Amino acid sequence: MIQPEAQSLEQAVPLPVPVVAREARGLKLFRRAGHKRLRTDERVALWVSRIIIIAVILVFLFPMVYVVGTSVQGGLLFNTNEILPTSFTLQHYQDLFSQTGFLTWIRNSVIVCTSIGVLTVALVATMAYAFSRFRFRGRKYGLMFLLLIQMFPAQMSFIAFYYLLNRIGLYDTLQGLILVLLGGGLPFNAWLFKGYIDSLPRDLEEAAYVDGASKLQAYIRIILPLTRPMMAVIFIFVWFGMYSEFLVTSFLITTPDNYTFAVGLFGFINQQFLNNWTEFSAAAIIGAMPLMLVFLLSQRFLVAGLARGAVKG
Amino acid sequence: MAAITAPAPGGLTRSRRKRFLDGIYPYGYIAPSIAFMVIASFFPIIFTLYISMTNYGQGHILSFSFVGLKNFVDIFTTFDVSVFIGVFEWTVAFAVVTTLSCFTGGLILAYLLNNENMWERNIYRTLLIIPWAIPGIVSMLAFQGIFSYFGLADNLTGQLGLGQPQFFNDPFWARVVVLLVGFWAGYPFMMTACLGALQSISPEVMQAAEIDGANAFQKFFRVTLPLLRTATLPLIISTFAYNLNNFGIVYFLTQGGPATSTYAGATDILPTYVYKLAFNLRLFGLGCAYGVVIFLIIGFFSSINMKLSGAFEQVD
Repeated sequence: MIQPEAQSLEQAVPLPVPVVAREARGLKLFRRAGHKRLRTDERVALWVSRIIIIAVILVFLFPMVYVVGTSVQGGLLFNTNEILPTSFTLQHYQDLFSQTGFLTWIRNSVIVCTSIGVLTVALVATMAYAFSRFRFRGRKYGLMFLLLIQMFPAQMSFIAFYYLLNRIGLYDTLQGLILVLLGGGLPFNAWLFKGYIDSLPRDLEEAAYVDGASKLQAYIRIILPLTRPMMAVIFIFVWFGMYSEFLVTSFLITTPDNYTFAVGLFGFINQQFLNNWTEFSAAAIIGAMPLMLVFLLSQRFLVAGLARGAVKG
Repeated sequence: MAAITAPAPGGLTRSRRKRFLDGIYPYGYIAPSIAFMVIASFFPIIFTLYISMTNYGQGHILSFSFVGLKNFVDIFTTFDVSVFIGVFEWTVAFAVVTTLSCFTGGLILAYLLNNENMWERNIYRTLLIIPWAIPGIVSMLAFQGIFSYFGLADNLTGQLGLGQPQFFNDPFWARVVVLLVGFWAGYPFMMTACLGALQSISPEVMQAAEIDGANAFQKFFRVTLPLLRTATLPLIISTFAYNLNNFGIVYFLTQGGPATSTYAGATDILPTYVYKLAFNLRLFGLGCAYGVVIFLIIGFFSSINMKLSGAFEQVD
């Protein structure tokens, strides 16, 4: 599938690009634009740009390459005298699975992130549809309420969450954590989803009504399938955001069995595991690599999704 | 405000019962989400306001009482106002510098990448986005190791004959590292946004400027930048609001240290400071009072951003 070029994040609907033009643009990746002779100043500008960009890439990605090296290095500490590892061992990866709660943390993170992702998509898809398609009493106040909630950083309520979860007996449970983390992202994602539905033509549903579909059928059979790309974008971004969540989680979770990846990894170097950098590196790589690949492979799709749902400026 | 219902086909022949059902139909879609947000988002915010007026916390966990505005007064008087002012100043400085550096760096990289002659630019773009694709907890903790005492950075500067500043033990260098890492983590988003905005500028405008004899600098500052402003200004402000609240970078890198007073360190921003007050000292009432202050500060910037991005007009 050809993804539309990334538009400005502000542009609500990308301009339709003829298919032929899109394919031509896609092909450019594999073909040197060199059939057109460059002027000397253009060539200088091109090579200066290249050198700057490559230098930036080397400097910025070096720290992460260094972490990969550290994960296969013997001992406990970062190898501070050499840039490349001086020995090779997979011991740290083995220890990670046999001696730490790493698998439990990953499992808990997958439970929390997936639950919040699915619930966010379900809540937002229904709410955004009503706000986009119906005019009803209180609609304006509903949207104002969304903006109001969005204004305040939800995580700063963490002390209130602590008290309230203790009162209803959900303190130090994954269910309680999911409950309090779910709320924060709803308003922003509702706007994103509403913007996306706004961009779908109303004729689609009207054609369905003419064919005898009920309102619910038009929603489930026509609108929902069309919003699948937006659902995927929201799901992925929620997953990413929650995967690194630490503030609320560390405050509400105390039992190591309930640690998420972020809390467990933090403990690796700051609490009981005391500066075990080599094992940390192994954990960091296994914990980050799958997400990084998903993100990079879907980057065009993610950016286009954000652009299509964004509030029009 | 008048209730406007979409004219439905055959509206006149409908029974009253059907009309009533149509009227309440939209509420079925919004009720679950709105109810959830009232309980799980709105109520905790109100409850934070309430706790901020109690002595809830160490020594008063099980039974706490209402103390009025005492915690707010404490922030500015007995609790050492210089600590709060110091943290507040650094929070704003951190957010301003990080936002501007990310925007400038992101714009420059996007400008360089937006070159038709660079056939391999998609590869560069993917590599440049990597810092955004790595979960923050992972990259920040890795940087903590690299810049820690006797870590890689210390050793490299030592070998280059620049001395070993012990980055995280020195207030100045700790702040420099936080700013550098803040740039590292934040520029890919700005670069992606700027690249999208640059690609939406039509080539004709550039050609017209060229025909009028504009040089490269004039083209950039007189044509490109003004055209980018409307598209990127809301992003800059929302990034600024985000950075005021950027708990992860500071806490994972330095935990707010090195300590400059009993309660705060040189790199502490408001959220990490409040977190430490609550987590380490269990001063919940005071923490909530700070939380309310943060709500007000960030709420202010968010509302400016909503105004600029036209979110309020979308409500109608």
